[in-house]
Amino acid sequence: MLMFSFTSLAAVSMALAGSVPGPRLLAALLWVILFFAATVGMDRIFLDEAAAGTLETLRLYAPATAVLLGKLAGAFLTLVVLSALLVPLFLVFIGGSVGAPFLFLSVLLLGVLGIAAAGTLTAALSAWAEVRAGLFAILTFPVILPVFLPAVAVTAELFAGETVNLHYLVAMGLYDLLLGVGASVLFDYVWGG
Amino acid sequence: MKPVFRLAVVFLTLAVCGAVFFVVPPAEGLGNLVRIAFFHIPMAWMSVLAFVMSAWWSAAYLRRRDMRDDARSCVSARLGFLFVLLATASGAIFSKLTWGAYWNWDPRQTTIFILILIYGAYLTLRASVPEARRRAVISAVYSLFSCLTVPFLVFILPRLTFSLHPSPLLGGSGRVEMDPVMLAVLAAALADATLIYIWLLRRDSAAAKEESLHEE
Repeated sequence: MLMFSFTSLAAVSMALAGSVPGPRLLAALLWVILFFAATVGMDRIFLDEAAAGTLETLRLYAPATAVLLGKLAGAFLTLVVLSALLVPLFLVFIGGSVGAPFLFLSVLLLGVLGIAAAGTLTAALSAWAEVRAGLFAILTFPVILPVFLPAVAVTAELFAGETVNLHYLVAMGLYDLLLGVGASVLFDYVWGG
Repeated sequence: MKPVFRLAVVFLTLAVCGAVFFVVPPAEGLGNLVRIAFFHIPMAWMSVLAFVMSAWWSAAYLRRRDMRDDARSCVSARLGFLFVLLATASGAIFSKLTWGAYWNWDPRQTTIFILILIYGAYLTLRASVPEARRRAVISAVYSLFSCLTVPFLVFILPRLTFSLHPSPLLGGSGRVEMDPVMLAVLAAALADATLIYIWLLRRDSAAAKEESLHEE
């Protein structure tokens, strides 16, 4: 996950060869790299358990909601660590300056939370697939668009130094909540078999 | 499906086509281009209806665990995928001829594009899970999960950018007042598309259920 995001960051940085793109393009690049970096590791969150044989134990001792919330929290933390390493490097190597670090941080956290919430459920779904390559990204992307698009919009406003429309942040938060609740309700069916 | 029903649908389809080309007057400002709308609006309506019905049968499957519901959900999504592609193509042609570009990420184009992505993801997921019962659960869950995007598409996305697309109540003629003949033909076209959907759904879900039982 980490190496993948560094590689894509390096690819973008080298391809740009020092030219600094506009705020919208910067924001788009940042979120595209973050999303695809997330898909690389997150599709395995249930597969690793299945491979280690611990999935059955978990099924015996833990209720579905607890498993989902645990996995969600784990995915969220992983993505927070990932962005903590990736975003500073992005700002250094590709460009962009942020006037309002607190807002920038909240957009990052809300966006990453949405990816974690939707991704935990879609990872559980794609774990049953036989052909898995790319499936996680295909399944997750349409569902997180309601977080992804406002995240890009707000990040672009921040890079441009404009005032941020706070409604976007509220909408992202609500949508994260909706994704989390939806995922935990539907996860019962996946877990129960 | 009874032969009488099939005959009626064929007749209605021919009648609607005839009406669209010979009865509907050219619209003010759009001329003959307005005729595209009589194809585009029913297709867009069907792509949304097929999506809702697919989710409805997914919920029914999770409740009752009846493979027939899974088959209906699957067939509805397949038909919806076809409808959404036709709606997108006809919309893009209309857009090119009236606004000058095939695609400009108008909110409605974004919405329909997201619908294509969701249909595509659902069908890809179905294709990649081999076991029938497992596939039924997994795809039903995804179908319902993807419904969570609907409030965003309806309430938030239209506010992100402004739209050139005429509001749905005005129909295809946009800024032009809807003429009663046009309204009647549009209603007939919508009914016709819905009946075609019901026909294909009945026909294919019987086959799809056979298929999944055969696999077991």
